[in-house]
Amino acid sequence: MNTRHAAILWVIAALGISMLPQLIGMPVLVVAIALLPIVWRLLAQFRNWKPMSIWLRVLATAFAVTALFLTYGQLLGRRIAVSMLLLMLSLKLLETFRIRDARIVASLSLFLCATQFLFHQGIPMIVYFIACLLSTLTALMYLQRQEAFANLRNIPETGRSLFSELGFGLRLMLLALPVGLALFLLFPRWVSPLWGVPEDALDARSGLSDSMTPGSIQSLYMDDSPAFRAAFEGPVPSRGELYWRGPVFWDFDGRRWRGNYLGRTIDATTKPDPGKAPFRYSVQMEPTEQSWLFALDYPALEPRGASLSMDYQLITRQPITQLRNYVMASDPDFVDTPQLGLTMRGAALELPVGFNPRTAKMVAGWRRETNSDAAIIRRALAHFNQEQFHYTLNPPLLNRNTIDEFLFDTRRGFCEHYASAFTVMMRMAGIPARIVTGYQGGWYSEMGSYVLVRQSDAHAWSEVWIRGTGWRRVDPTAAVAPERVERGAMSLAIPRRHILDFEWLRDVRNTLDLLQRGWNSWVIAFDSDRQSRLFTVFGWGIFDSAKLVIAMGVTLLVAGAAIFMIMPLLLRFRSSRKQDPLVRLWQKFITKLANAGLDPQPSMGPAEIAAMASAQLSYAADVIYRITELYTFCRYSPRNSGQVELKELIQDFNPSRTDEYARREP
Amino acid sequence: MSGFGPALKDLVVNRVMQRARIKRGPMTYPFELQYRHIYILPTKFGWGFGLLLLLMALGGLNFNNNMALMLVFLLGTIAQLTTFIAYRNLSELSIDSIHAEPIFCGEVAHFRTFISNGDERQRFAVQAGFDKPLDCSDFKLNVCEPLNLAFPTVKRGWAEMPSFRLETRFPLGLFKAWSWVFPQIQCLVYPAPAINAPPLPSTGQGQSGMAKKGSGDQIYGLRQYQAGDSMQRIAWRASARHDDLYSLEMEAPREQACELDWDSLRDENLETRLSILTAWVIAADHKQLLYSLKLPSAQVTCGSGDDHRSKCLELLALFEQ
Repeated sequence: MNTRHAAILWVIAALGISMLPQLIGMPVLVVAIALLPIVWRLLAQFRNWKPMSIWLRVLATAFAVTALFLTYGQLLGRRIAVSMLLLMLSLKLLETFRIRDARIVASLSLFLCATQFLFHQGIPMIVYFIACLLSTLTALMYLQRQEAFANLRNIPETGRSLFSELGFGLRLMLLALPVGLALFLLFPRWVSPLWGVPEDALDARSGLSDSMTPGSIQSLYMDDSPAFRAAFEGPVPSRGELYWRGPVFWDFDGRRWRGNYLGRTIDATTKPDPGKAPFRYSVQMEPTEQSWLFALDYPALEPRGASLSMDYQLITRQPITQLRNYVMASDPDFVDTPQLGLTMRGAALELPVGFNPRTAKMVAGWRRETNSDAAIIRRALAHFNQEQFHYTLNPPLLNRNTIDEFLFDTRRGFCEHYASAFTVMMRMAGIPARIVTGYQGGWYSEMGSYVLVRQSDAHAWSEVWIRGTGWRRVDPTAAVAPERVERGAMSLAIPRRHILDFEWLRDVRNTLDLLQRGWNSWVIAFDSDRQSRLFTVFGWGIFDSAKLVIAMGVTLLVAGAAIFMIMPLLLRFRSSRKQDPLVRLWQKFITKLANAGLDPQPSMGPAEIAAMASAQLSYAADVIYRITELYTFCRYSPRNSGQVELKELIQDFNPSRTDEYARREP
Repeated sequence: MSGFGPALKDLVVNRVMQRARIKRGPMTYPFELQYRHIYILPTKFGWGFGLLLLLMALGGLNFNNNMALMLVFLLGTIAQLTTFIAYRNLSELSIDSIHAEPIFCGEVAHFRTFISNGDERQRFAVQAGFDKPLDCSDFKLNVCEPLNLAFPTVKRGWAEMPSFRLETRFPLGLFKAWSWVFPQIQCLVYPAPAINAPPLPSTGQGQSGMAKKGSGDQIYGLRQYQAGDSMQRIAWRASARHDDLYSLEMEAPREQACELDWDSLRDENLETRLSILTAWVIAADHKQLLYSLKLPSAQVTCGSGDDHRSKCLELLALFEQ
């Protein structure tokens, strides 16, 4: 690579690579603004343009900030701060004509890279990590070279290829890895953050939200990202039992379901006894930006920072912005609210006035036929089961009377349509009912023995309150499509969701989730807790911070000493291969002479050696002279002619076997 | 206040250097850089980079962001490794010799410092300089390359080469490893030639002056035959009278010769006089005249050529020193 351009090109490459993940999520206008300075700088390099004037630069900066403000509507928040950093770094290229500026850009692109890990920390980010590190190291290396040769007209070629330049960076990285890992494991982590984690720590992720409209869960069906993983200590419940409880909705306005203020804010008065709970499991939950933890019915434990509400939702005080681990126990036989208070009963029966007249008429007809709540529930489920209802991913749009239209006209819907219609029908019949959203099922990993629940497993079902038994789960979807519950949402005869939606690919992805899980628990969720438990494996007990510091010191010393001993070997290894073959041959010859009892001094040239050797080994004088002549010739001849002969001669030259030479003499 | 910082630095640096010099003893060449000669400190960029890493570490610790922390730890370790690489880039380099051509006062003395790399590793971007780095070179395996250290001169006589630094910021520019060298090398500085020197004194003695032997058309004398003498030059008659062969020695008479005399410049002060004499020597040499130089303390007899010129200029450079 041309050394004149190499440094700045590598700086631009380092910046470009570190920008990538951020660019992908940004509006087109901002992306364009970020890329323009790069294009300008590249043109400036190859067409020898002068640096842009200060006024133009100020103007460009003002324009960029304004555009950023206009596209995002504000200038606060972490995403926007990082976008701002990115824009500023890109604009910095407009004035990057000196080594100092280039170094600032290269170093800050590492900072940009670090900020990206606030948003994504998945396994693919390892590639990004390495690419950023390598390109920046190479950029810094070229900048150093340019700085060193600044006084000279041109920078000499190193004689090394681009590949080996990268190899140098890679070697640096590999050499640093042991100590880096030791630091990673041993550097004391903070138990709690010094300054707050803002609420918009992550991009809004898909997941269950705090309200439900027709179509909201259906959109999750497209999303294969993991929601959480649960590793059971004892028996794993059957698939039909895996109802992961999330947000509970009471209030209905004809279209949208919302949670009930009291239901959410009042704590549960009676809680399941954790000792009697048959299912115990630990959950590793992906961040959601929401405040629900998911657990099987009915959760018996309250993890740190979360509390169990009256309608048995596990609600955290802070939104879950980081990977979260918690231990949970569940008791499916718990009796939920045997006595329903008047207020809550009212909330569980309330319906908007003037909606869905046809449904109301039908349910009133059922009510006239029977007085039993159980019979009404059976009647409603039978209605779904016997009439021509379809479970589909693409239900038609619904207008004002959503339930009427769904039940009598379209008859096509997703789980939320069924749950919503069923709950409304129950309320019309005077049975208290509510909607529970969450996840149903999951994929059991044999290898990791845990249940993986993806966003596509999102589900909605109903709960009805019956005197004596309390709230009971009823899943109307099971009446229409029982395989949804038994074999998971993917088993339904629904057309492929996207071009790569094959069953075998889903299996591969599910199996690969094992890696993701390990990555999550060892890298992303590694914290002071986990760190202090690190050495329990060796039976050293839990490490407090003082012990940790000592351990860190010892490890660093050992690792440092190891590196200082290994480094010279590694550095030497490469250069030793470069020895001149002719010198090697000559050395061999000298060694052979020395073995024959001669004493060739390092100060002697070939002619002197020849004179001395032929005098002492007179029987081999011819060969010795031929060898030295040939060596001198090869040394000074422009071509490599004669080297083969020299090699043969030296190989055959064996002064200790005197008889052979004696025989040759005339 | 403004002068205090540099003065203090000067004092400390001079003290340290003096101690180092005494400790190291007289300089002998080749001089190989050993571990105890090499110092290493972060550069400005290195400090800045460290600060950046610190900030990144704080952020990573606060948000317990492990990938960011891993990046910081790796970068920190790499930075630490580069100190070692920088040290290895410098150690066991050998300063074989330093050579400086004489120059005229006011010109820049070029100390050509020959550095060889006898070790089995390549060296990259090794710089040398007095205050700032002046020259830089890579050193491949088993090579000797000169680094040119330019130093302006202000006084005639022997100019002592100041102590200089061999340094490297290889590979990332985060750390500077350097070694002080106390060369004990001098460069001869001739007096600056006067700009408006009086014309050359033409006190030449014409044909009777000194002539250049060896070529020309006039016979100068006889000498014993030497291998290589032309056959036509052999003095056959003279040779016949003796046992040996004799050749004719020829000479070419010079038009002019001049005497450059100190005493002919009466009214000038010492340096100006030397300047004028220097200018005359250069002019006479340029015109390929025969010239002699006469100073109160010494004199050079009539002659010409590079050696003669150097001899005259050296005399002028070292006059009364």
